[in-house]
Amino acid sequence: MKKIIPVFTIFILFIASLGLSPAQESGNARKGKFLFRKNCRTCHVAGGSAKELGPNSKTQAQWDEVFKNIDKLKCRDQWVTLSDKDKLDMYAQLWGHAFDSPSPEKCE
Amino acid sequence: MSDTYKKGLTRRQFLQFSGIAAAATLGGPRILHALVPSSGMAIQNQVVSLSSICDMCLNKCGLIARVEKGVVKKLDPHPKFLKSRGMLCAKGNAGIKQLYDPDRLKYPLLRKGGRGEGRWQRLSWPQALDLAAEKLKIIGEKYTRCGVLFMAGSDVQSSFVNRFASVFGSYNTVSHESNCLVSRNRAYLDTFGEMPIPDTLNSKYILIAGANVFEALITPDSIDMMTAKQKGCKLVVLDPRFTKTAALANEWQAIKPGTDMAFFLAVTNVLIEEKRYDEQFVQEKTYGLEQLREHVKKYTPEWAEKECEIPAQDIRRIARELSAAAPAAMIYPGRRTSDYEDSTQIRRSMAIVNALLGNWDRPGGLTAAREIKVKAKPFDPPFYEDNPEERVDAGRSLMMFEEEGSFKHARDAVIEGKPYPVKGFFTYKVNPMATGANRRKTIEMIQKLDFMITVDIAMSDTAWMADLVLPAPSYLERMDPVTALQGSSACGCIITRDPVVPALFESKPVFWIVSELAHRLKLGQFFNFTMEEYRQEQLKDWPEAKKDLKKDSFHFKHSRIYGVYEGKIYKTLSKKIELYNQRYAEKKADPLPVYRPPQNVPQGKFRLVVGRNAYITQGSSTNNALLSELVPENEVWVHPKPARSLGITSGELVEVSSPVGKGRLKARVTAEIRPDTVYMDSGFGMLSKGLSRVYQKGASIVEILEDHNDTISGNMAMHETFVMVRKVH
Amino acid sequence: MIDISRKQFVLVIDSQKCFDCKACMIACKVENNVPHGFWRNWVRPTEAKGRRVQFQPGQCMQCEAPACVAACPVRATFKRSDGMVVIDPKKCIGCGNCVTGCPYGARFRNPETKLAEKCNYCEHRLLRGEEPACVTTCPTKARVFGDLNDPESKISTLIKKGRLVQVANRKINTKPRIYYTTGTIQLDWPKEPTLPGNVRLPESFWKP
Repeated sequence: MKKIIPVFTIFILFIASLGLSPAQESGNARKGKFLFRKNCRTCHVAGGSAKELGPNSKTQAQWDEVFKNIDKLKCRDQWVTLSDKDKLDMYAQLWGHAFDSPSPEKCE
Repeated sequence: MSDTYKKGLTRRQFLQFSGIAAAATLGGPRILHALVPSSGMAIQNQVVSLSSICDMCLNKCGLIARVEKGVVKKLDPHPKFLKSRGMLCAKGNAGIKQLYDPDRLKYPLLRKGGRGEGRWQRLSWPQALDLAAEKLKIIGEKYTRCGVLFMAGSDVQSSFVNRFASVFGSYNTVSHESNCLVSRNRAYLDTFGEMPIPDTLNSKYILIAGANVFEALITPDSIDMMTAKQKGCKLVVLDPRFTKTAALANEWQAIKPGTDMAFFLAVTNVLIEEKRYDEQFVQEKTYGLEQLREHVKKYTPEWAEKECEIPAQDIRRIARELSAAAPAAMIYPGRRTSDYEDSTQIRRSMAIVNALLGNWDRPGGLTAAREIKVKAKPFDPPFYEDNPEERVDAGRSLMMFEEEGSFKHARDAVIEGKPYPVKGFFTYKVNPMATGANRRKTIEMIQKLDFMITVDIAMSDTAWMADLVLPAPSYLERMDPVTALQGSSACGCIITRDPVVPALFESKPVFWIVSELAHRLKLGQFFNFTMEEYRQEQLKDWPEAKKDLKKDSFHFKHSRIYGVYEGKIYKTLSKKIELYNQRYAEKKADPLPVYRPPQNVPQGKFRLVVGRNAYITQGSSTNNALLSELVPENEVWVHPKPARSLGITSGELVEVSSPVGKGRLKARVTAEIRPDTVYMDSGFGMLSKGLSRVYQKGASIVEILEDHNDTISGNMAMHETFVMVRKVH
Repeated sequence: MIDISRKQFVLVIDSQKCFDCKACMIACKVENNVPHGFWRNWVRPTEAKGRRVQFQPGQCMQCEAPACVAACPVRATFKRSDGMVVIDPKKCIGCGNCVTGCPYGARFRNPETKLAEKCNYCEHRLLRGEEPACVTTCPTKARVFGDLNDPESKISTLIKKGRLVQVANRKINTKPRIYYTTGTIQLDWPKEPTLPGNVRLPESFWKP
């Protein structure tokens, strides 16, 4: 599908006028969900090479720790390809749907 | 090739047609659970009993269909199905008339006249699907893919509608639940970290506020409650109406509508002041007792008496009785909690009492949900960069459930065109025209759309407003995926369905419909499986279940019921059961339920409360040929005192009106309701001429109800409307 | 097919278990093809202070002294050895005397067959070894059905225990063979039987 640039621009104006919460301003959880699936789920899946992982596998505090210490992760090399925006988006998804969040989410 | 809907098959034609269809598909000995009937010579007088799962309401009870010569003759309860305790209710028995109903949708229909005019053109399936795919594509390109709103009811194939929405690229999916119970789920999630399951069977004391378990049947709770009562359990009902639940309870308190929170805060006050809560449990497992203690000091029973009109001594006594019976006691976490603007907080006040008494994870109290995992076939939906960042109904309530959405907010957003335009609407087995308060706004919303597609069994009021109506088969004609079910202590199970008889007319399951649409929209890779294959994949982890599913359509899995949370943390911020909710505090909501008295009923008006009886499932079964004989129309219940001054007697036609709408129906003058309140059943006053038995019978609740909402969950609030009642001369 | 000729069928109803879901009524209607507007069984509310407080399921009482049998001019309806009052459709002339003669309103004239009709405990189901449809479908199992000639049956135990009542019409005593548990509120049967002029019933039939 072609991108509809004018509509998208109008939409950003809408968002600005709505005054959304900081989490939504800082990262796009939906994009984060997509990125998480694309980048992490290749290994972090049932029967995969790493432990099965979804937003509700950790508490919000634990996700904070993960994102503060990306360079200590075994898979840190994989993260190099991700932009800061990508990481923010993924954080928004994982933190926002963590085990102790108002809407915990599995990654199916 | 066009005809109006009214010119559909006559009853005689219908019967002929279904007879022919049955004969044509009879073909040979039907193998149990075969999707396609095997071909061969027809065997006369063949009688088979086939199992399935009822779908006349949400409960999903096991059944056995007696099929003679390819025609379903009788539905009986499956005696081994624990969740329904081996019963089938009136609706379940009437399921046969959902299958054989001349009012059924028979082939795809395209709107010809104005919306709701009822002029239709018959389409072939390829025509209908091509058109639907084309319209979805155009709307997606013009308004982004979030410009299509999807709404699927509580059906086991609804997951495929949501899967389609997700790969199509719209995250605007709304379930029926925001017209029902999301405030209750919100409240328990924000207290216990999950939605508990009541162990009614083993309870010694059940306090029911507003729920009507002996009419709005829930399996196994409704049956278990009667069994528990026979074993000596005390049932106490708070309700402005003398429901059948109230009639059969040990005690009925005609509480003033909208004051339930005052009652439960006062109960909390008694439990804390008199140290009647479970001290060890509260200390080990809950968070915020000190704040709660301080908070409820002012909420004494004497104070509550003035609010709820229940004597202080009764409140005190009930608190003590509850405490004596705990932990085999409960404030029943009932359904249909779409009533007030602070519904979530009202249900929180009930959840808090359950927590204080330790009615949790032990026999006779609330129990944790069991882990019954049935996997969906995994898929990775594409990401569409041009999509807006948020759902169209986002930001209108504090903590809306992402996966349920809010019909009320979504409808407002579509009408306003904000934050972005939504021009497509796809509905499946959901009837917001009959369940969403303020019907005029639903019509206004639909008038804003470019294209609306409805998949249903009959011409519901929602289908009546659609542009393209696609016929779905009933549950007795369908193959379904495997679904997990929960309900009280006895039963965690998985269920499935195979067709008992082949699908009548040109009806097609929604799975097939969205799959066909996906292929037309170049999204076929996400639907590259048959239902059979999908189910096989689901059952990979359930090798032991296959035999049962084939024979009975269900398989029970016995698991731990009590003590599930021993040594585990709760899914809340404090990792404990939250009496005091820290997240509410962060979001500027009341961290402890704060009582705000309801608006007083203005002079000359009544508060309208709504509900249902045991013979209807909201808007979906009032047109059933058997059930409509039990309840041909609804009535408005008026107490004899106001009825006298209004000059109304039973059976007389009256008009019930609110600022948003009005309706005419018969009055039932009865002492079974408070004088300041009137009551109506949902599911009547239909607009659709395709519902021949119930069209224009009685009055519609959603025509009269204003659309308020619970500020936290976005649930509809249906008891905030004041109405006038007058005699029609 | 099961031989039912040596059985004694009895029904015990615990009206305190009934929450008026009317599953029994719809189950019966489907099972027996009962036409629109007619019922072979029912759930009737009993009221106190203008409010419904108990729901009482019922159907043909299979009386020991049935008024319907007395009212039938052609002996199409009769008492059978298994305890059931039955109608022989081959003999029935559809006169309707039994319909007005029943003090419980348990009979009707089927507008299609023009013959008298009532509950027969779903005899075709009994022959298949099943229970009547109303009994099977009941959520709380408020109806208990069985063979009194089988001492081990649940119904025999219930009858032995006693504490059962009959809810007969106040005006006449037909000796109903459907029993209710104690605690059942006496229904005020609205129907006063009208019998054809040539039918004479013994004095004991009429209650003082």
